[in-house]
Amino acid sequence: MKDSENGYHISLFKPTTERARFNRNLIFWLASIWFIAIFGFQIALRVLQKPTPEPAFLVFENVWENVSNGSASTPEYQEFGQSVLSVLGKIAITDDEKTALSNALSWSLYSTYPDSLQSGLVSNISEFESLKEGITNITDENYVLEKTKLAKTLGPKLGLSELDVRTTILPLEVTAVNIEGMTETTRSQLPGIMKKYLVHNQSFLTDARFLGFPFHYFYTAFFLLVLFVGLCLVYCIRSDRRNEILGIKD
Amino acid sequence: MVPALLQAATAATQLEGSFKVGPAIILIAILVLFVMVGIVFRAKDTNDYYAAGRSISKVGSGMAIASNWMSAASFLGMAALMYGSGYHGLSYVVGWTGGYVLLLILMAGQIRKYGKYTAADFIGDRYYSQSLRAVGAIIAILISIAYCVGQFGGIGLMFKWILGIDYVLAVIIGGTVVLAYTLISGMLGVTKNMQIQYVIIIISFLIPLFILNFKFDYFWLLPQIGYGSVVSDAVSGIPLAESEQLFNSLGHQFATVPVPEFAMPWDPATGKTFFQWIAIAFSLMIGTAGLPHVIQRFYVVPKASDARWSVVWGLFFICILYWSAPAYAAFGKILSANPEVGKLEADAIVVYTAQLGNIHPLIVGLLAAGGVSAAFSTVSGLLVAGSSAFAHDLYVKVINPNAKPKNQLLAARIGTVIMAIIVTAIALAKLALIGQLVAVAFSLAGCTIFPLFLLGIWWSGSNKQGAIAGLIAGGLVSVIALTYFIAGKMGTTLPAHEFISYWLGAWYFAIFGAPLAIIVNIIVSKLTKETPVEIRKFLIEQVHT
Repeated sequence: MKDSENGYHISLFKPTTERARFNRNLIFWLASIWFIAIFGFQIALRVLQKPTPEPAFLVFENVWENVSNGSASTPEYQEFGQSVLSVLGKIAITDDEKTALSNALSWSLYSTYPDSLQSGLVSNISEFESLKEGITNITDENYVLEKTKLAKTLGPKLGLSELDVRTTILPLEVTAVNIEGMTETTRSQLPGIMKKYLVHNQSFLTDARFLGFPFHYFYTAFFLLVLFVGLCLVYCIRSDRRNEILGIKD
Repeated sequence: MVPALLQAATAATQLEGSFKVGPAIILIAILVLFVMVGIVFRAKDTNDYYAAGRSISKVGSGMAIASNWMSAASFLGMAALMYGSGYHGLSYVVGWTGGYVLLLILMAGQIRKYGKYTAADFIGDRYYSQSLRAVGAIIAILISIAYCVGQFGGIGLMFKWILGIDYVLAVIIGGTVVLAYTLISGMLGVTKNMQIQYVIIIISFLIPLFILNFKFDYFWLLPQIGYGSVVSDAVSGIPLAESEQLFNSLGHQFATVPVPEFAMPWDPATGKTFFQWIAIAFSLMIGTAGLPHVIQRFYVVPKASDARWSVVWGLFFICILYWSAPAYAAFGKILSANPEVGKLEADAIVVYTAQLGNIHPLIVGLLAAGGVSAAFSTVSGLLVAGSSAFAHDLYVKVINPNAKPKNQLLAARIGTVIMAIIVTAIALAKLALIGQLVAVAFSLAGCTIFPLFLLGIWWSGSNKQGAIAGLIAGGLVSVIALTYFIAGKMGTTLPAHEFISYWLGAWYFAIFGAPLAIIVNIIVSKLTKETPVEIRKFLIEQVHT
């Protein structure tokens, strides 16, 4: 008799005993639930997603053309500066992107000032930058005082209220370097940077809220883990019961 | 503001901070406890050393699985990944938990029934080949080394933070301590320690979360749910007016501009794609079912049903931490939102978040000590798995079959020391984030050991030739992926560098490597001589009955 005919063969797909059949069916059911729950949901997220801009990006798109060709009005410069500041407030940006954004922000602020006051703005910012470089502790009393003073001065010029979180970060992001104009690098990079940080993949699955979470986040970070424990529990209970019925002892 | 808190907050921006007395005392006390437990329950013979005398209960084994699993990558690395790349980081959470379902339904009970000591033991016996046993042992050692590198990095970061010393010195000191402890205790001591370590890890991780949720006015009774609103607040932004009384320890209000990129899937701002999310989750899941030190845990329970139930317990204990880790990333995102905080070392964000949240320095110290415990528990398990492969599978089974138990134990200990030295040297290079470094080990396991176990258990048609061919295919993919990764780190550009680096990324090359290894194994097995009848008989009568 050939080895292949002697019955000593194991295959998940071709079970030869009752227990093996039970095992195969249980594994297929659990693995299918597992697979669909994980990958099916992510595929659904991918299929349903739409590039959704933040309000700051819409503002940027509205004013960019006028700002880039130098024909913007003061309110347009303000809106432009605000939208740029919305990206600067995100901590994930790279150093190169930060340089371009700071240049755009500083220039838009500069452009809101009348010619006669622009040199005063530059010296204010320069003085604060020098102070910032010299401190060893960001809670330094004089530094905090000057920072607050500068925020109160610059915020309204950019149309920001005192309660806007961007007002607090404004003094930290403006720079006197190249403030008189937007550099060519900034001009070419800015639209891409703004799109990268202000347009997101959203759908009703990301917009809906559940227990405080965005739904998709809850599903992936919490529910899936509950499901995994549940699947394991079901497998163990059913395996033990089947072994008991078949009189199999481990 | 209280001056002491200001000092702590300043330290949060500088890893080179000064020596911290309270956290150092907590760390030393915990380490002394580990060593004492290791001594009391130390290995008396080789059976103890490799498999803890097969005397561990299923709940105890579950706790040990969780402790063994909850490494620096879980404790520190996961929050770091989410802090830096938002929703993309959740692929690691899903990958590192979902793999246990595969492990349970496909392998746990069967591995225990097979009744071997190590992964290489199984491979050598099932594929009736001493050469494959040796290759399996070498792969197990490589996986343990790759896995340990990230852990040593985590130990270094926490020692650096606590002791206020240089990273290089911190890695060397931390590595020496964990090596000494593993050598003293062996696996029996390690298993007992793992249960204690689990308790320390989970308590130290959860206490700051309760406090953070309470302090910043979120639902604190169940922080794993309470932080959901923190995520939503990050997405929509928190105006100053809504957080008038809430400050971080640097004096910044608990406010932020909208940062939807933190939660939105494969956001362009993170530079991560849908493919990478899927590839990482998949690779980590199959890697979980192929890691020698995880598989080895099933040898220490008395019977197969205990092996199955220990997975359920282990996964539940693991999930307690995994449900919590994203909360640190969410709080960290808002607490460090002000540009003045500067760029923080992502791998230490768990500790920085607690510091920025104005949590008492001793509790932050306990948290850091918990991070060290997490790394210790995993490293000790990995070193035992690696040294077992060296001593049991290479030295005794291949090099010197007549070795006395005393020599075998000595070989295991020499193997442990050599591995620790190699790992320390690589960890000093700081090649990537902790979580990413650990993911390399998973992909390696997914391409090599996982296909051998999967087919070895579930298809008696898989034979020696198929196993060798599959291993070569999986190994080749691994070598290509790692060559491109290392070349990239060294600043060298290889042909089609960008293309290969994207599709065969070092953290997820198993997405192609594992299926390829399985297909090659099946094809070659079909074309060559059948598996010997005694192996097939054993599979039916011992493993599947």
